[in-house]
Amino acid sequence: MTAVLKAEKLSKWYGNILGISDINLEIGSGITGLLGPNGAGKSTFLKIAAGQLKPKIGSLTVFGAAVFGNHRLFRRIGFCPEHDSAYMEMSGWQFILLLARLHGFDRNEAGAMSEKALATVGLLESKDREIKGYSFGMRQRLRLASSILHEPEMLMLDEPLRGVDPLWRIKIMKLIKDYGKQGRTVIISSHILPEIEAMTSEIVLIHQGKIFSKGDIHRIRGLIDSHPHQVSIRCLQPRQLAQKLIDSDFVLSVDFDKDGHSLTVKTNQRDLFFTVLIGLIAESGLEIEEITSPDDNLQAVFDYLIGK
Amino acid sequence: MNMQTQNPTRIIFASFFKSGFKAKRTRVFILLSLIPVVLMLAARVMETAGSLAADASADFFAKVMLVLYFQLLIPVLALFFGSTIVNEELDNKTLVYLTTVPVSRRAVLLGKYLAAFLQATLLVGAGFLLCFLAAALTRLGEAAAWEELAVFLGTALLAMFCYSALFTAAGAFMKKSVLIGLFFVFGWESVVQYFPGITQKFTIIHWIKSLLPVLPGEGGFLIFQLQPSPAMESVLILLGAGCVFLFLAVFIFERKEYILSDNA
Repeated sequence: MTAVLKAEKLSKWYGNILGISDINLEIGSGITGLLGPNGAGKSTFLKIAAGQLKPKIGSLTVFGAAVFGNHRLFRRIGFCPEHDSAYMEMSGWQFILLLARLHGFDRNEAGAMSEKALATVGLLESKDREIKGYSFGMRQRLRLASSILHEPEMLMLDEPLRGVDPLWRIKIMKLIKDYGKQGRTVIISSHILPEIEAMTSEIVLIHQGKIFSKGDIHRIRGLIDSHPHQVSIRCLQPRQLAQKLIDSDFVLSVDFDKDGHSLTVKTNQRDLFFTVLIGLIAESGLEIEEITSPDDNLQAVFDYLIGK
Repeated sequence: MNMQTQNPTRIIFASFFKSGFKAKRTRVFILLSLIPVVLMLAARVMETAGSLAADASADFFAKVMLVLYFQLLIPVLALFFGSTIVNEELDNKTLVYLTTVPVSRRAVLLGKYLAAFLQATLLVGAGFLLCFLAAALTRLGEAAAWEELAVFLGTALLAMFCYSALFTAAGAFMKKSVLIGLFFVFGWESVVQYFPGITQKFTIIHWIKSLLPVLPGEGGFLIFQLQPSPAMESVLILLGAGCVFLFLAVFIFERKEYILSDNA
């Protein structure tokens, strides 16, 4: 793999607060997902990669060059920030056109590029409206347009699907996948595993400022799936249900909740547990009101993986 | 793709000059800059009605220029327009868009500075012209009256350049530069300018007042302690200081890392 982005012993902190610590990472062409809970250091990493922040220790290069203060690199890089920010007094068209002109395109070319970028994110019809009149999702799509308008070789997207409606979520995912297929480098951050899974199998897990794991998503999925999951079930006959579940090998413990109508089951094989549970419900006619998984989020998975 | 070499400073200037007039801040300052005009018109009406002595409005014009424009409006406008060049980008988290394009930070800052400088100068210049017309209504045929206006406008241009460059540098350096700037304008500049001897030369207003066509003693108590410096020296000092402040602003902006909070 030819590394497009290379980080060596990269550390960054804000005063006493750690951003990222001792990151060694190489990213080549294709899509790489940066996955980690909120506050893990994903945005700090991307901001250093986009030249917004300086490394405190170590180095980060993109296309072999340091990024901070190296504005020429941005002919080849597109960056979509996480912040909901834009020049609210401008229209969507003025905003994108300004950036296109700053990318060095002449007036006609900039107009064509802006139109294409806005059409790609579905904002062409509302291009003349002031940005302050856009919804959150529209502004998110506008940010995406600003990062792809010059068709960069490398695209860095910080939580690009946040606040986007389901229809556009699918379209944006397809756009990102197409970018990856064209041999460009795409780095996309998210704290939602299925989001990343839908776009790439190459992921980097970041937690508490460190690279926790890197590689194929199936290996990481395996780690995650072995995580003992808690499943809370609310039903009318909790004791009967507990009786049927307790003998199973994959059930580690069963606790009754205080309300008398719920039980919490801890399992180390979540998929098998749900298969068996569905069978039990169908077979015994137990009335289930609600099934929830209180720790089915990335933070819980990370806590488990690091042995908290 | 036609990647022509274009002047990014000009593109940024044009864009921000246009959008700047839509900002609420600009509208507030347009109203503020009309206050001297209203006062001047009132003086003119009173003079015509005989409530004020003949030619009183000409004297009032000089005081309005000095007190309201040079000691208040110009520094305050320069403060708000200059310090927000960088700070507004930080507050609105929009700096990222101007620093992830293939344009040097120097071009970004200079483009934005020129837009802010021209906006503030236009506000002041328009007010100046209206005040002058109201004051010199009966002397419009005299060349001396227009010469006086030219000196006032030239001095205002230099003052705006110097103050706005200073506050641009302050805004690039620190986030709460408006507070420091207010202290500078209403503390340092207001007080130290009356200190005797060389001390008053450490204020910008000293060099500005040295250029104004009002002799010491003629403008009332506010300038009676002025020990004016030669006009050419004052022009060079104001130009030089403005250039140094602008260079400093660029130097800081090119090197400083701006943290747009919410770092995760």
